[in-house]
Amino acid sequence: MTAGGGRRKIPAPVRTALVGLPLVGFALVGLLAPVLAPADPAANDLSASLLPPSADHLLGTDQLGRDQLSRLLHGARISLTVTAAVLVISVTIGVLAGTVAGYLGGWVDRIVARIVDMAVSLPGMLVALAVIGVRGPGVENLVVAMSLWAWAPYARIARARVAGLRASPHLDALRLLGAGPVRVIGRHLLPPALAPCLVYASTDVGSIVLGVATLSFLGLGIPPPQAEWGQMLIEGRPYLASAWWLAYPPGIAITAVVFASNLLGERLAVGDERPSVLRWVLPSRLRLPRPRRPAPGTPATVESRRSAESRTTVDDDVLLRVRDLSVAYPRDGGIRRAVADVSYAVRRGETLAIVGESGSGKTTSALAPFGLLDPGALVAGSARLRTGSTARELIGLTFRHRRHVNGRQVGVVFQDSLAVFDPLRSIGAHVDEAVRNAGSRGRRAAVRRISEDLLHLVGLPDPATVAGQYPHQLSGGMRQRVQIAVAIAGEPELLVADEPTSALDVTVQARLLDLLGQLRDELRMAMVVVSHDLAVVTRLADAVAVMYAGRIVEYGPLDTVVRHPDHPYTRGLLDAVPRPGAAPGTRFRTMPGRAGAGPDDTSGCAFAPRCPIAVAECGHDQPVLLPVGPDQAHRSACPRTRAAGAPPPLLALGDLDGG
Amino acid sequence: MSVSGRPRSVGGHLVRWTVDTVGVLLALSAGTFALVLLARGDPAAVLAATRAGRPATPEQVEAVRSELGLDAPAPVRYLRWLADTSTGDFGLSLRTNLPIGPEIADRLTVTAGLVAGSVVVAVVVGMTVGVAGAMAGRGPLRGVLRIGALLATSVPAFWLSYLLVLLLALRWQLVPTSGMAGPATWVMPMAVLGLPAAGVLSRVVAVTLREAIDRPYVLAAMARGSGPLSIVLRDGLPNAAGPILSVAGMIVGGLLVGTVVVEQIFGWPGLGAYFVHAAAARDVPALQASALMLGGGFILANRLADVAQILVDPRSRRTSGVRSDATSPRWGRPGRAGGRHPHQVRSETG
Repeated sequence: MTAGGGRRKIPAPVRTALVGLPLVGFALVGLLAPVLAPADPAANDLSASLLPPSADHLLGTDQLGRDQLSRLLHGARISLTVTAAVLVISVTIGVLAGTVAGYLGGWVDRIVARIVDMAVSLPGMLVALAVIGVRGPGVENLVVAMSLWAWAPYARIARARVAGLRASPHLDALRLLGAGPVRVIGRHLLPPALAPCLVYASTDVGSIVLGVATLSFLGLGIPPPQAEWGQMLIEGRPYLASAWWLAYPPGIAITAVVFASNLLGERLAVGDERPSVLRWVLPSRLRLPRPRRPAPGTPATVESRRSAESRTTVDDDVLLRVRDLSVAYPRDGGIRRAVADVSYAVRRGETLAIVGESGSGKTTSALAPFGLLDPGALVAGSARLRTGSTARELIGLTFRHRRHVNGRQVGVVFQDSLAVFDPLRSIGAHVDEAVRNAGSRGRRAAVRRISEDLLHLVGLPDPATVAGQYPHQLSGGMRQRVQIAVAIAGEPELLVADEPTSALDVTVQARLLDLLGQLRDELRMAMVVVSHDLAVVTRLADAVAVMYAGRIVEYGPLDTVVRHPDHPYTRGLLDAVPRPGAAPGTRFRTMPGRAGAGPDDTSGCAFAPRCPIAVAECGHDQPVLLPVGPDQAHRSACPRTRAAGAPPPLLALGDLDGG
Repeated sequence: MSVSGRPRSVGGHLVRWTVDTVGVLLALSAGTFALVLLARGDPAAVLAATRAGRPATPEQVEAVRSELGLDAPAPVRYLRWLADTSTGDFGLSLRTNLPIGPEIADRLTVTAGLVAGSVVVAVVVGMTVGVAGAMAGRGPLRGVLRIGALLATSVPAFWLSYLLVLLLALRWQLVPTSGMAGPATWVMPMAVLGLPAAGVLSRVVAVTLREAIDRPYVLAAMARGSGPLSIVLRDGLPNAAGPILSVAGMIVGGLLVGTVVVEQIFGWPGLGAYFVHAAAARDVPALQASALMLGGGFILANRLADVAQILVDPRSRRTSGVRSDATSPRWGRPGRAGGRHPHQVRSETG
């Protein structure tokens, strides 16, 4: 990241312009060749043949004593002439054909599209060669032959652009106003169609220059007395070994123009690439700077203070302990945190639920310890996984070491059940891979038998058939079951489930939750469940962490938090849940205001703008998690309710906004 | 190549593909035949002169004209020509007065060998560099690979030949300068043809692989403990296969066209050289025959790549009675980054 940051100082448009610079140079040299050239490119002087570069002839002379530099400059001129002519002809024809076809639609459009498809699928150089083969070489024939294949992409681009514009209400209005087709096409369609074509033309220069040089090299392009780069190379061929100055300059000139054009085309076509997940394969990338924003007056969270004290007392029961986890993404030139100072602990066999609105950082908090975030994420803090007698720090693990954790000690069920499967591989292939990763070596059939057992275990009735199917052939509920099968293949001690039931309908949800609960108990797994759905949480969880704007605002045993919510946000969340037994027509309380964006977007308590009991101090003092009452396990980040002693009655559970 | 939104079964795809392919090949043949109509000068006069060894009399020309059937209307001549060529009868060369068919057959094997060797070079080098480019971080290696690949696609084949001849043949004397006699003579032609193609391929592999790897299923694979090699080979490359196959088709087609230059330079008696000789001598029947062969090979290579994409994707295998969430069966058509950028493909024809 840091290495990339320094390099990015030149803004992208400037870089694109720099890339295009050689093309501008080519055009200028071509235009000014008669002025720049020191000698007549066609002036023979046999007494001065094959002279190496000198002050008189900067690039030496050829076999006829002609000045190479002058010939090179005039070569640019002839290349430029042909290129410009070909571009003018093909852009004109292409844009006109594409625009008219796109405007008229119907059968005209189909015919033009068909012709364009054919023209694009024919080999351009062969067409040019064949046409010159029957018509003979020469500048005019060359231009015609090259235009014959160069026009088609422009027609395609213009057609696509116009087809997109055709349906716009703007054009309908013009037609209603009585604008004829010529006016509509000429004034309102041609200009927008021309723009992308001109961009493409700037990248087309290279292939045309290369085509001209190639044809001339074959003796089928520009005829001999004229200086052309390909022509110069073929003429110099017999003297190649002795006169190096004949071999290099024309080749370098062609390569430079074509290279600049290709580079420009690639920049315009692809744009800047994002970093890839595979970046993680490189271990050095994992050592990331801690993205702490200097926040004066922000006290360390209680969790971290407490953990510093309790470091000596080994809590054998805790399977995963996350401390001060912060996750940040580079954005707008700076770094913005999505999750700040999150600490939680999962005991063996216990289920922790992380709840919150979308964007509150709950998924990030759950997946960060296992390296399963977007590749741009910067992760700081600590996450210790204690399995058996060994403890392992998960933050900063290399890809290689992560493989001992993921799939063996930890299984993950993701939210999106379609995207997480490789569409090209069968269900069986996915489960087999998980079984192998978990350590089963052996024949394909033996592994497959284990896979089918797993699929059976998660309640899929016909494992053998399902194993042979592809992800798109299964329903969402079945795919979630397969995900669970994959996740438990390594008999993990911890199962992380990110919104495992969000995309499913209610009956399927219920059965899936039952399955998760049952597997957890049978396999004695601990679980981290991420959800926005309190129904899911109450069904599975022992403990709950409520997140808001990237921070945990309340944390404690499920019963306590649901019965005696402390933080106003938690209470608001509980109030928004429809309950059975409520009178018909009951309006459940919804929370006013918008969800906060992230921990770095606000100072003080992020919930303050929406909080019914907020006071001025809430806007600048960052609240910390503190125990609620004597029970150390229940903690909340709201000093206001604490100041009031008992929870004020305004938002108590069951307080319905009746109507 | 028109795409309708309706999902099709594999059988439907294949029927459509066959119809499209035959259509394009017929268009090629019509275009090739039309070369006769474009020709400057009278082929009958040229052939008559070749036979007589001196400028022919009008009677001789007329005799040749009716012998060749050149007095019939163009559509009839096209159909006749099409029937003849489909049996391998391409007529007589105006230059040598010998039948073109057998000549073409011999040269076809030379060109096929050259293209096959170049494909091996392109695939081995291109895939290696491409995968390395996708795996490389934002560091200098990635920039070097990218610039190197672009440079390889930008160097004109004829100049690259010069450089190799100067270096390998003249300075180090490792290989002969030209000819076609044993492995040592294969090195330069195959490198000249294969390396630019490798450049194109590596860019497409790098970009599409990177894209295929930035997907949730790769995170899922990491979650179940799969290693980088498994991710690249099992998830990355197959999902990048669509654009890669498509470009591979273009590359094979481009190589066929590239033989025109390379065979000429290194003196290989293949189709490409034949094409250039025919073009230089305005030998229209020979020109038609070689254009048809090279053009047909070019088109078939591209079309085969298209059909391979359909076969490779299980989502296009429609199965009845099972719920299908497949988005589009034509998913494999590369979109923006797929390297189907025409200029990239054209640039290795030189």
